[in-house]
Amino acid sequence: MWSGILRGVLISVLFGFVLFVLIPVHVPRPAFIPGFAPPPDMWPRTVSIAGIVLGLIVAVLAWAGPVARPAPNPEKQPAEPVGLPVLIGRFALVVLAFGLFIMLVPRIGFVLAAILLTAAAILLTGERQRLVWGTIVAVALPIVLALFFNSALGTQFPKGPFSALLGF
Amino acid sequence: MLNDILLALQAVATIENFLIMAAGIWGGVVIGAIPGMTGTMAVTLALPFTFYMQPVPSILLLVALYKGSTYGGSVSAILIKTPGTASAACTALDGYPLARQGKAGKALNMALYSSVIGDFFSNISLIFLAAPLAILALRVGPPEYFMLMVFALTTVAGVSGNSLLLGLVSACLGLLLATVGEDMYGSFRFAMTNEMQAGLAVAPVLIGLFALPELIKLIVFRNPPKTEPMKLGDNRVSGREIRASLKSILRGSTIGVVLGAIPGIGPASAAFFSYGEAQRTSKTPANFGKGELEGIAASESANNGACGATMIPLLALGVPGDVITGVMLGAFMIQGLTPGPLLFQTNMHEIYMLFIGMMVSSVLLFGAGKITMRAFSYVAEIPPTLLTSVVLLLCLFGIYSISNSMFDVTVLLALGVLGFAMFLLDIPAAPFLIAFILGPMIEENMRRALAISRGDASVFLSSPITWIFAALILFVIGITFRREVAKARQRKADRA
Repeated sequence: MWSGILRGVLISVLFGFVLFVLIPVHVPRPAFIPGFAPPPDMWPRTVSIAGIVLGLIVAVLAWAGPVARPAPNPEKQPAEPVGLPVLIGRFALVVLAFGLFIMLVPRIGFVLAAILLTAAAILLTGERQRLVWGTIVAVALPIVLALFFNSALGTQFPKGPFSALLGF
Repeated sequence: MLNDILLALQAVATIENFLIMAAGIWGGVVIGAIPGMTGTMAVTLALPFTFYMQPVPSILLLVALYKGSTYGGSVSAILIKTPGTASAACTALDGYPLARQGKAGKALNMALYSSVIGDFFSNISLIFLAAPLAILALRVGPPEYFMLMVFALTTVAGVSGNSLLLGLVSACLGLLLATVGEDMYGSFRFAMTNEMQAGLAVAPVLIGLFALPELIKLIVFRNPPKTEPMKLGDNRVSGREIRASLKSILRGSTIGVVLGAIPGIGPASAAFFSYGEAQRTSKTPANFGKGELEGIAASESANNGACGATMIPLLALGVPGDVITGVMLGAFMIQGLTPGPLLFQTNMHEIYMLFIGMMVSSVLLFGAGKITMRAFSYVAEIPPTLLTSVVLLLCLFGIYSISNSMFDVTVLLALGVLGFAMFLLDIPAAPFLIAFILGPMIEENMRRALAISRGDASVFLSSPITWIFAALILFVIGITFRREVAKARQRKADRA
């Protein structure tokens, strides 16, 4: 029951944040609107209000409990018994890896940043048995892909101090 | 007329044309199967080559690329849950579970058969219905468009998850994200950076939402999906299975043709709509989303059915239905042909050649699909820990190469995180995607209708067509609600 209520509240809070914080700041209303044309904030406001109402219905239905809870999703069960902090920590590492990739691209180049991100992803999945294949995927594949996109489509990937070593 | 057709057949039946179409289909299948590479990209890249070709072979090359990439998108959707195109996102719902059961070959075969049938049906419709359907599409005004799209959205929200409410929440999220950028009157919304002024592209949203959550799931739960190796004896689709799905294939093809003929709707909406109808009318709706062949048949027949039909408004009215047909319009004009009613009077020989070439390309699609299927199907045997990292790389390089933009890559990664959060909250991804694609059109038609009616909301119930769609929306909500109540009762009874 509590997870259902929390889900509904989270949905309402998200849409509420858009309605009361983001729209007033980031959706400016023009001073003059010709004819009967609806203003630009009308549609985002309508959708946000609908989202808040839907979230509240989800929470109320979970609280009132007319609908039986579905069976637990096996995809959400960890392979080994670990606590919630470990799961949250792994998720935080993923977000950190993605963020670092974005920050590193202008500094070390796209290909090297992609190599580091892929290596991190393979290690984070817990893969320890196929390290040779893992190295091939993490190191060789980004170079092959960069060469392919560069020669076939003319894509210019952001360069870094080591790009020349990789042939770019 | 028969004489004209025979002359056109003679002109098309050359080794050169055959090779051009085969290369187009083959290239399209391969490009569509690579995550991050889209049919639009394939057609755009081929456009410069058409400058040096005759008019009809050049258009046939582009059409072949379009058809091939639409089918190719389903290959990666089935094998690695990474739809190569937006229209293949629906195929992943049942294709991927089948691949995990060791039936990747069966899923790919069903996708191929339904794609080819849908494609063939679409070509026939193009030949006979081009003019009447185009005229009908012209009579659909903003209120009718709005109601049609709300109906399509309700259907998708109702079928692609365990709860209609959460499906609608997902659709609201997609509609909201679609408002980022410049609106129809030139106002910028949620444009927090310069890049956001142009709005968010479909490809990073699509791939981020469907492909990256698989990697994050694997990292957080370290519970790799139990993928069975592909069983060689279980690859064929039996006659019984084809017959069981035939109704959905024919209905999907029809839905594809009708929705494809309306400019702007496109193959993705047709696929989801057809899937919803197949699930609604199925005797075993609970199997959908768990590896139901009929689901793949419904989705693939509709998206390929829409391919040929998008040519209907292009040829008959000179109105491109989507980005790809927009590129084709450019190709027609470069070749000195102006699509529209006059084309049928002044260039009938070229029109017949195009029709015949499109029929031939359906046969070639079957051949290309069969040959490439075996090579692609072994992808399912790669360990998930490595495969998800390969997918991540393909997504990063593919998305960057579309517009040389790190902003698109950022959107891709952010949508991956959002997709994972939605998975945790049991919010389905499909309504989000379809709402994101249809969102700008829904809003534009709503605002246009309100502007015409001077703000009177009753304009949305002002014609028989809008009444029909309103009734259908209520019908879908009623049916979905009844199904949910029945499911809840069943679960309670099982526990008791």
